[in-house]
Amino acid sequence: MAIKIFYGFGDVLFEVSMALIPLILFFLFFQIFMLKLPLKRVKDIFVGIALTFMGLAFFLQGVHVGFLPVGREIGDLVGNWKHQWILIPVGFLLGFVATFAEPAVRVLNAEVDKVSSGYIPAKLMLYTLSIGVAISIALAMTRIIFGIPLWYIIGPGYFLALALAIISTETFTSIAFDAGGVATGPMTVTFILAIALGFSDTLEGRDPMLDGFGMIAIVALAPILSVLILGLLFKLNESRSDG
Amino acid sequence: MQTVKDTIWEVVYAILPITILVLVLQYTLIWLPFESVLQFLIGVIFVSVGLVLFLIGVHIGLLPVGEMIGSALPKTGKVWMILIFSFVLGFAVTVAEPDVHVLSGYVDQVSEGAIAKWTLIIPVAIGLGIFVSLSMARIILKISIKWILIAGYSIVFALALSPWMPAEFIPISFDSGGVTTGPMAVPFILAFGVGVASVLRSDEKVADGFGLVALASIGPIIAVLLLGIFYG
Repeated sequence: MAIKIFYGFGDVLFEVSMALIPLILFFLFFQIFMLKLPLKRVKDIFVGIALTFMGLAFFLQGVHVGFLPVGREIGDLVGNWKHQWILIPVGFLLGFVATFAEPAVRVLNAEVDKVSSGYIPAKLMLYTLSIGVAISIALAMTRIIFGIPLWYIIGPGYFLALALAIISTETFTSIAFDAGGVATGPMTVTFILAIALGFSDTLEGRDPMLDGFGMIAIVALAPILSVLILGLLFKLNESRSDG
Repeated sequence: MQTVKDTIWEVVYAILPITILVLVLQYTLIWLPFESVLQFLIGVIFVSVGLVLFLIGVHIGLLPVGEMIGSALPKTGKVWMILIFSFVLGFAVTVAEPDVHVLSGYVDQVSEGAIAKWTLIIPVAIGLGIFVSLSMARIILKISIKWILIAGYSIVFALALSPWMPAEFIPISFDSGGVTTGPMAVPFILAFGVGVASVLRSDEKVADGFGLVALASIGPIIAVLLLGIFYG
């Protein structure tokens, strides 16, 4: 295998150009008709857009030549083992580490800490979330091994989330559903998903379209349920101390 | 340049620990050929550098614009303008969202071109745009977020369980809901929404800025489910 670095970079550059055109048009429209910013400001904004362009291109190139092929290779390799269940604890570890260090998660935890006036400390939230995502990825790998339909996990998951939302406060509901995205950080969507795709591609009787995809959806449920459940405990405690 | 330093640390924290874990697993359990390890490390470097540049670019270029437009729009006093431009903005940020490109690229490859990249990106962006617009309407009309969540997910479940729904579209539709809340859309929609909310309801807390991202996941799910019904 030859090492690939800039293989297919032309396609990536084209894709990124297409991706940024709508935003640039949107800005120019407002600049001309409404904002009318001074030229120096407009120049700064275009420097920002140029950096965004390069950043997006490098990011996608890295996924394209690095994370996708190697992730699939790992999934493929484990799929040929006798002990495929190893991917369940490995998934748990990957999920835990990915979330424990994720900056977006820390921002969320600080926010919940503040809203609950310290009753739900950031540390508690961090462990709850990291374990939640770890279980989600382990569950996603289990699902691939046994061919469990996505519905059996997503259905009850969202049903529980909505039921909890009804009895929860407006603030906690908002934070919980906003938080759905924080756990799907850059490594989860790219590398861990690629492992799941390779794994489901290799296993007899599994289809990556049905069994590999769906992992992000399961991971997104973890923070929603974590915040809602902790929020409910907070509410119970509050009403007890009131009465 | 404090923000540059912060951004670099942010990316290092998000990527380094799991990279180390993968390398530990590699030399205890997985044992891939050395070329693959090298290829993985090239990926790590490209993704890290890319994310740093991307986040800095978004912060100095696009976020201030989102905020300015968010607070300029309500001053026109025209609700329809807020709703239309919320849609356009939601569409534009989704098309530029890195995670959306990653997912649609994977779907393109795994489905062997049956669901091409932009076939997925466009409906996802339209779905997100509609729901950003709905979120704004919710803030203006002061409707509880719970009602929209329940109504939205009821539509999701009804579509997903309908007999015309091809099974292979269900996982990717729910995944699409997850990837729209990435490093581009979240700060942008929040900046825009907080801008609008602070002008519209200056008397109240900006708690309504929360909940904007929540609804953003529903639109793309519904859009991809509909794509499945008509296309699959």
